[in-house]
Amino acid sequence: MNFYSILWVAFLVFSIGLFGVLSRRHLVGVIMGIELMFNAANLVLVAIGWAYGVLTGQIIALFAIAITVAEVAVGLALFLLIERVRKTVQADEVSLMKG
Amino acid sequence: MFKPLTLEIALTVGMFGIFLLDLFLDRHKKRVLGIFTLLLLIVILGISISKSVYGTAFSGTFVSDSFAVTLKQLFLIATGLAVLGSISHTEKLLIGREGEYYLLLLFSLLGMMITVSARELLLLFVGFELMSIPLYVLSGFDKGNPRSVEGALKIFLFGTVSSALLLLGIGIFFAATGTTAWHTTRALDELNDPLGTLALIILLAGFGFKIAAFPFQFWVPDTYEGAPTPFVAFLSVAPKVAGFGILFRFFFEALEPLASTWTLYAIWLAALTMIVGNLLALPQRNIKRLLAYSGIAHIGYMLLGLASGSKFGLEMSVFYFVAYLFSNMGAFLVAEAVHRATGSDDLDSYTRLYRRAPFLSLAMLVFLLSLGGIPFVIGFWAKLYIFLAAAEAGYIFIVLLGALLTVVALFYYLNVARKMYIDEGSGENSFISLPFDLSISIGICTLAVVLLGLYPKGIVWIAIKAISAFGQSNPIIH
Repeated sequence: MNFYSILWVAFLVFSIGLFGVLSRRHLVGVIMGIELMFNAANLVLVAIGWAYGVLTGQIIALFAIAITVAEVAVGLALFLLIERVRKTVQADEVSLMKG
Repeated sequence: MFKPLTLEIALTVGMFGIFLLDLFLDRHKKRVLGIFTLLLLIVILGISISKSVYGTAFSGTFVSDSFAVTLKQLFLIATGLAVLGSISHTEKLLIGREGEYYLLLLFSLLGMMITVSARELLLLFVGFELMSIPLYVLSGFDKGNPRSVEGALKIFLFGTVSSALLLLGIGIFFAATGTTAWHTTRALDELNDPLGTLALIILLAGFGFKIAAFPFQFWVPDTYEGAPTPFVAFLSVAPKVAGFGILFRFFFEALEPLASTWTLYAIWLAALTMIVGNLLALPQRNIKRLLAYSGIAHIGYMLLGLASGSKFGLEMSVFYFVAYLFSNMGAFLVAEAVHRATGSDDLDSYTRLYRRAPFLSLAMLVFLLSLGGIPFVIGFWAKLYIFLAAAEAGYIFIVLLGALLTVVALFYYLNVARKMYIDEGSGENSFISLPFDLSISIGICTLAVVLLGLYPKGIVWIAIKAISAFGQSNPIIH
């Protein structure tokens, strides 16, 4: 297993996540896509840290996991608010403003 | 050792104070919180003038040089104006939640201050997120308003995706160079392989969201339309300047070997952002959406400074930040004042405004002229200097395009002025009385725009001093 094969796997996971964000209608599905993107980035960091034999990558991944949790917490609160105000959790139905 | 962190530490301590005060204050006496926040910001601004805040900490990963300190002063001024403009707004519309509002603003400010000082990607990422997450919350702060919630959803989705991109970019930069701290290895020759270019593109995309450059501008008008207006005044200026701060430091210090690549991307980004912003602003009927698109256009002009790839370009961008800060915040604060009086953000509510509020419409005229770049207010010098820098770097066509788009921009700016002064309206003629706090903040912005326009030399001098941080061009420690 080398450097580049891990990168390819990470890009694949990242792309699947991005596809999920763009194609999912349900907001929870969107946030799962975002989680996949973050995890792909963490995979790159951990793998490169391992390949270079330094701990930097793993440390950044730990920080990133904590920050992602904070971000997702805000997101879920926002989804609850949208459910309450708009009575929907479908991303494409939340479109009052255009242009 | 902690001297370079003085500003951040003072801000954090003050935030704890505000938090405690918020706990013990009676529900209807929370007005004090806004005044306390303002005092805190003024004190920190005072500290930032002192020489002792300069230096580096954490083995060089946190740097407080003249560039960082100047930008921090700009953030403090922007936050101060936003807080001053918010006092009566929060008191009226966000009863009992003022504490959260001001604390979230300050958290975002803290994130900006950290992130422009970072010379290490982990610190940069943490600061960036600390800046961004409170902005998502504040965008949806008007909980009952479906537009506010929708705007918050849009900034949240774009924001998190761009954070993921940024993290991936950090990973690839790490893969390409084997380090995340760029003060140790500046001449990153390894960057010239495809991985380095990939890291550059992904990081540029990640930062592009925060400054709302071309492909990432979709959230801007919707979020601005829904969010509380004094907060929008803050959102339209401070995080943008912070995003540029990171871009400048990272690209000039870490990615210097790739300068020929990123100036090419930046010039395209600048041109497209200018075109999209100016053209989409034309059909807008809502003042906040109009200012949102005009803000995107201004981001394009500021990117010209980065694209010119020289210290002169960066200096002129810093000048542009100052001009944009006062003009744009002022315009949004006027929008807030008019909204407070008429209950609408529609351009038609500006009809015959000069009858109802002569000073307010005069202030708005000054801001619009400054944003449009009419001579002898500060916006004119900002545009002139940035075009000069771009022309010196050889981008004559882009300068011509920019000048052409400035004329287009005048059309929609002066349309508002025409409504205020010339159009006949059948509507109300009652006099608009402004809240005290709002009139002070609008007054400060007006004075700054006019006086700095008469004496731009002072700002040029500050900008040169700020960018001289990149001049001792060896941030290398070993």
